Amino acid sequence: MLTKEQARKLTEKALSFSTFPECEISVNSSENAFIRFALNDVTTSGFTVEQSMSISSIHDGQTGSTRVDEFDDDSLREAVKRTERLALISPPNPERVPPLDPQKYPEIENYADSTAAARNHAMIPHIRAIVEAARTNGLVAAGFFERAAETAAVANKQGNFGYGRVTDANLSATVRNSTGSSSGWASHPAVNIENIDGAAVARTAVDKCLRWKEPQRLDPGKYTVVLEPTATGDLLQLLGYSLQARAAEEGRSFLSKKGGGTLVGEKLFPEFVTLRSDPFNRLYSVMPWSGGGGGFGRGGGGGGSGLPAERMTWIENGVVKNLFYDRYWAAKAGQRPTPFPNRLVLDGGGKSISDLIASVDRGLLVTRFWYIRVVNPQTAQATGLTRDGVFLIEQGKVTAPVVNFRFNESPVEMLKNTIAIGQPVRVRGGEGQGMLAPPLVVKEFSFTSVSDAV
Amino acid sequence: MLTRRNFLQSGAAAALATRLFAAKEGSAAPNPELENLGAAALREAQKLKASYADIRIIRYRQQFLTVRLNPERGTGKTLEVPMVSDGGSFGFGVRVIAEGAWGFAASPLVTPAEIARMTGEAVAVARANAALRSRSLELAPVPAYRVRWQTPHERDPFEVPLEEKLDLIRSAAAEVKKEKGVFAAGCTLSFRSEDKYFASTAGSSIQQLNLQTYAQVNATAVDLKRALSKTRRYQPQQVTAGYEYVPVMNLVENAQRIREEVIEHLNAPSISPGKKDLVLLPSHLWLTIHESIGHSTELDRALGYEANFAGTSFLTTDKMGKQRVGSDIMNVWGDRTTERGLATTGYDDDGVKATKFPIIEKGIFKHYQTIRDQAHLIGEQESRGCCYADNWASVPFQRMPNVWLEPGKPDTNLEDLISGVDDGILIDGDGSFSIDQQRYNFQFGGDAFWAIKGGKKQGMVSRVAYQSRTTDFWQACDSIAGPSYWQQWGAPNDGKGEPEQINSVSHGCSPARFRQVNVIQTD
Repeated sequence: MLTKEQARKLTEKALSFSTFPECEISVNSSENAFIRFALNDVTTSGFTVEQSMSISSIHDGQTGSTRVDEFDDDSLREAVKRTERLALISPPNPERVPPLDPQKYPEIENYADSTAAARNHAMIPHIRAIVEAARTNGLVAAGFFERAAETAAVANKQGNFGYGRVTDANLSATVRNSTGSSSGWASHPAVNIENIDGAAVARTAVDKCLRWKEPQRLDPGKYTVVLEPTATGDLLQLLGYSLQARAAEEGRSFLSKKGGGTLVGEKLFPEFVTLRSDPFNRLYSVMPWSGGGGGFGRGGGGGGSGLPAERMTWIENGVVKNLFYDRYWAAKAGQRPTPFPNRLVLDGGGKSISDLIASVDRGLLVTRFWYIRVVNPQTAQATGLTRDGVFLIEQGKVTAPVVNFRFNESPVEMLKNTIAIGQPVRVRGGEGQGMLAPPLVVKEFSFTSVSDAV
Repeated sequence: MLTRRNFLQSGAAAALATRLFAAKEGSAAPNPELENLGAAALREAQKLKASYADIRIIRYRQQFLTVRLNPERGTGKTLEVPMVSDGGSFGFGVRVIAEGAWGFAASPLVTPAEIARMTGEAVAVARANAALRSRSLELAPVPAYRVRWQTPHERDPFEVPLEEKLDLIRSAAAEVKKEKGVFAAGCTLSFRSEDKYFASTAGSSIQQLNLQTYAQVNATAVDLKRALSKTRRYQPQQVTAGYEYVPVMNLVENAQRIREEVIEHLNAPSISPGKKDLVLLPSHLWLTIHESIGHSTELDRALGYEANFAGTSFLTTDKMGKQRVGSDIMNVWGDRTTERGLATTGYDDDGVKATKFPIIEKGIFKHYQTIRDQAHLIGEQESRGCCYADNWASVPFQRMPNVWLEPGKPDTNLEDLISGVDDGILIDGDGSFSIDQQRYNFQFGGDAFWAIKGGKKQGMVSRVAYQSRTTDFWQACDSIAGPSYWQQWGAPNDGKGEPEQINSVSHGCSPARFRQVNVIQTD
């Protein structure tokens, strides 16, 4: 992977081929190792090395972009030339913002050598722990263990340069009984692979599978729910996309006011709801610039506004405090540009999930959600299903497993209807990058049909 | 730090991919340089005692052009916001079986030395995994092929001047924005090519070019007083074809239509929920076929290989050949040979020749989608050619072929379907979609909806989604329009696997009618 000096030389080399007043570059290099397992056996596994560079050239607002993964001089020269040819053909972009001056990026490198060095031999013992726990109980395990190491840099012709490196790892497992009538799941994401404990993942998934036996069918309808942290994160991570100032001002968002304007400053949520972005939290791996990815996913290191990463508060004590302003919209609106609402943290209290369950007279405990898709972007209404363990809560105790449901609910309504909140942890469910999410008690959560899926 | 220059003796690296994949006139064999590179992997794998090896060397090109027309903040003046990009990727992936386990490694450095090094890495991965293996791998036999294949096309989209493409998308977007009530409009054209070389120790050497062409026109209408917005989209059929298909899409003509329909959508009354008959157009029904039939008949899901991510299937292996899924008029094919289908190709990533096979016959589930290492698990002798990896750095596994619904009788037309509905909805285009991890319970929205009352199509309605159970839904299918209505829509981004990979797939069908489906009113 590229060191800081290699990245600097490489971006300088590419910029030296530029003949336009503006040229922006992001480059990333990564090494990933992964193992899939199913039916108590390893299935596919690999080790991959990847690198790519995104280049944009701009002249009087005319912009051309490309992506290359060949870094020799000839390839870079040709790539820069290609972007300049594309730019000259393209109409000028009236929403183009000026290039960034040199920025001061924070030191937030979150990189563990142990993760970057881990290969199959380091990962297999954790998978063995899961498979053996499943076998001991007559169950069948499937899962995925992956680790990623990535370095990335951003640079432009005005002399801006930033570099970052991150690692991330995640182990997830699904344990099912042999007839396929019960299923349990657990996952553990961590920047340092040494913090991942396969035996602990196995215990949770096996326990869920054993307890979710012969579930009863309940009617769809509105229920009080206790959402485990993963379930909270599965739905709440969607809210980041609904916090855009532009959509709110243009009448296309739940934050649009009838007749014009936005709902910034209004108290839409309970007092204890505070939603933030925190790239400095050591549980996250993130590049030191806004919108920069990090961790899993191809080419996640570049992109974004290129502004230094910073903390943001979106909702504070129930009040909508800030919206996402990209650099163009911020300039138009006379606002300061903000980072994109990712690396979300929903602040919590000190209550454990047991405390939350004990506080519910009748409700449902939800392990996680699956296949969540937005139904109406304007209201953020989404649909999806419960998966891998739904349980009835009666008089503060978990009493019986319940057949899965489909929901139609928005993260906005979910937060409005939250009546208690626990301690946040880092979660990564089946879809999306996850967040730091607490368990919640939510009233009137809307389940609209029953799903027989296990 | 990786630079190909460190490894190459001569020649500009950027020119390497172009040279390797250039079509040689008069030869049906793969490029000899590619064959030499492929042989480096196979030789090394055999030296390291791998029992099987294959290599894919791939160069992708992707061109993306879009233009968006939206009002400037403060002035309301229409701004034209363009984006043009043209990029690519080039690398290789080696897959081996050693000590009875799979191993894989990939790198962007396409040189004999790096290919040999990464083949060693793949063997090391396989050996480490062998410690946990409890059953042996078995590959279904495959003939050896030495061949070139390419998507049939008349005009290479990457050779068409960008100016021509920009003129077209600017005209289409402008056509939408002509109506004052349209808040924003956009048009996109994109092209993707995959130059792929495959060689395996089964003796194959296969060079292919897969070409895809996409476009879209969209419109947004906003009523600030009500803080309400609606959209309408023209999504032409997505195809494997060249630029010759672009004029067939009629982007500008359809832009005029959606300009009017987005305004109607903004003011359309909300649906009253309840059981209703649905008439679903191919632009919509493709996605319901994809989610409910395409995914439930994947063998890896049925066996449990996807249990931790995409899920399993209600169609377990004991149901093959017996389970009723739909009504007698339902016949579904798995097919990688369909003209212009997104999953259409010459050979799959196992080196198996593209094929066509029945999935559902007269409503009964008949066959799964399979690959070489799965066929024996259900007592079959050969793969059905469904192996695919979305990148040179991705592990090939079972992916969906084109899965299409046979049309109804030639004399059945769309009007017949509508005239038989007392209270129903006609749906065009896809919207939100969600289905459970065993493919029972689903919910679909759409892009546009029209009420049907007393056998007649009425005005648009809004806030529609329907929920059903896969077998209930397909057994409620009582009429399918004839072959003249058959069209295939699809998607380039079907997700599955860990790490997640995408797949391009089409689902041809004619309009079909479904009785008494549960319709809900969304936000």
